[in-house]
Amino acid sequence: MRADEIEVRNPSGLHARPAALFVKTAARFASAVTVQNVTTGAAPANAKSILAVMGSGAARGHIVRLTVDGPDEDQAISVLHDLFASGLGEDLEA
Amino acid sequence: MTSAVRLTGVAGAPGIAIGPVWRFDAAEPALQAASRQVPNQRPADAIEAAAAETARQLESLASRLRDLGREQESAIFDAQSMMALDPGLLDDAIRRAGEAGDPAEAVRAAAAAAAELLASLDDEILSARAADVRDVGARICRVLRGEVLVLPAVPSIAVCDDLPPSVTAEIPPGFLLGIALAGGSRTAHAVILARSLGIPAIVGIDGLIAAVDGRSAPSAQPVTIAMDGERGEVVVDPGARVTTEFREREADLALRRANAAGLRDRPAATADGERILLVANIGTPDDAPRALAARAEGVGLFRTEFLFMSRQTPPTETEQVDAYRRVLEAFGSERPVVIRLADIGGDKAIPYLDLAPEQNPFLGVRAIRLAYANPDLLLTQLRAIWRAGAAAKVVPHVMAPMVATVADVELLISLRDRARDTLVGKGLAVAERMVTGIMVEVPSAAFLAPELARRVDFFSIGTNDLTQYVLAADRGNAALAGLQDALHPAVLRAIAGIVAGADSAGIPVAVCGELAGDPAGALVLAGLGVDELSADAGSLDGVRAALAGVTRPQLDALAHAALAAVDAETVREMAGALLGPARTPNAAGPR
Repeated sequence: MRADEIEVRNPSGLHARPAALFVKTAARFASAVTVQNVTTGAAPANAKSILAVMGSGAARGHIVRLTVDGPDEDQAISVLHDLFASGLGEDLEA
Repeated sequence: MTSAVRLTGVAGAPGIAIGPVWRFDAAEPALQAASRQVPNQRPADAIEAAAAETARQLESLASRLRDLGREQESAIFDAQSMMALDPGLLDDAIRRAGEAGDPAEAVRAAAAAAAELLASLDDEILSARAADVRDVGARICRVLRGEVLVLPAVPSIAVCDDLPPSVTAEIPPGFLLGIALAGGSRTAHAVILARSLGIPAIVGIDGLIAAVDGRSAPSAQPVTIAMDGERGEVVVDPGARVTTEFREREADLALRRANAAGLRDRPAATADGERILLVANIGTPDDAPRALAARAEGVGLFRTEFLFMSRQTPPTETEQVDAYRRVLEAFGSERPVVIRLADIGGDKAIPYLDLAPEQNPFLGVRAIRLAYANPDLLLTQLRAIWRAGAAAKVVPHVMAPMVATVADVELLISLRDRARDTLVGKGLAVAERMVTGIMVEVPSAAFLAPELARRVDFFSIGTNDLTQYVLAADRGNAALAGLQDALHPAVLRAIAGIVAGADSAGIPVAVCGELAGDPAGALVLAGLGVDELSADAGSLDGVRAALAGVTRPQLDALAHAALAAVDAETVREMAGALLGPARTPNAAGPR
């Protein structure tokens, strides 16, 4: 199992559009992927479910914990980490 | 012979529409059998097939909108198509349906449960997505039952409790003239969509459904309604006279829009050339582009509560520097930004502050009052503002809410200087100075205006709270609506005293309450000698146009008469008369 903690830097948090991109990417991997909002102390959510990801209520500045467990976990954690760091399709400086 | 029925709601999107009603009932929409029936199968298979079909429909709506260049709306349907295939939602629906249950009912219940969860989040953007999930559920149900929606056959005005976004988008362009909702709020999807389509929308119209359904029963002819999205007025069965009146308003609105667009290139001023600074209220850094597009000459109120809500730990100094810096840089050195220190109290659950529950949080330990026992929250915020000003190379403006006494101001100034000294001691860069003001919203501060004015750089009057405290009427209590109009002469007399106090010390006075964004209110405030008006970006054009149509002597006369009045209605009529015939409140309408 691989895990990673990362700060949400999107201006409106994980709202519909960045959440959709994140879920689409997570769904490409065979491994089980979860995302947990550490800042609010919510339970880990299935990262392949857009409702669960939006339900984690991750706002700008919150810390989320990603866990990946399965055959392609090494590739999955690095792709998902880079996706978060690059702003999930949003311009973080705008 | 029927007579026109006049109803009012909350203005959502401006514009005039007159046309036949298209009734939509989200719980029981008018349906017709689809050409393709779904074959008999196990509930689980039926649900999965219907979900896949729904996702395909939503994707095609998204791509149609993308082709039309409406990216933002297409993203709504992209997300909805993923919701239709959401594993959590489908597993829950399949579990609920079991071996022999009604698959449509199971999907509806699963979507309702998922919507509940989103609605419970303390995040306005995410909780607004609850309606999107319910809508997805309703769509899967229709596919399961082999039904399609009946859409308007002629250009019509939609009348309903709430209009789901995907239904709005399915109506062909040109067939939706306006949206009149009995429920909903100004932030409902339907309203956002209406603004982007340039059609009028009104929400929260009491008695709308009963008035429309009551008319349509006896005859086959659809009911006609007229609506004014700017004033929030709806007339059922308008008749020739009201139709003419609304057509005149339409022509007047077109003229005012053309004028307002023309006025944007010049700073706000009266017809005889007296400048009034027109600035915007913003709630997060994301609001800055909209305020700049509306030609705000700065920010009169940057609310900072968004940084402090919905979290287990306080925001760090660095996190705050980042947020303030974004706004300060967006507006630059020519357009001042007033940052309001956190307005937090016992009405909000903030786990890391350990606030004691209070009987009456709006008269309790809130805002600056918290800093007597626990100064760290404000010290961190002030340090972040000092650093953000240095990073953005501008002089930041700050103001403290809820100031009631001279001691409050002395505390504010000592915390400001202490925050600066700490940073300088660490060798960090700080802004060259910090323009420091207070919100005047507590009656004691209004009475102490001359003493407070000598100690600060500016006043900003919060008319919403000032009205609540002067008239002793809870802002949230609908039964006290008659005591919540900031144009009440008692409130205006308090404002006149505040302006006189500021003048005695030579400091400027701003108003950042809703009254500043109301054209009638703006004229009265300018008449009372207020130097700066701060309002939502969407209100700036209207205020700019109102100011451009009057002279200083007219404003002085209005203020003089308003101060002598005994109720808010009289003041509104006097200001309305100055705004011109198109704006005069209708005698038959509400206040």
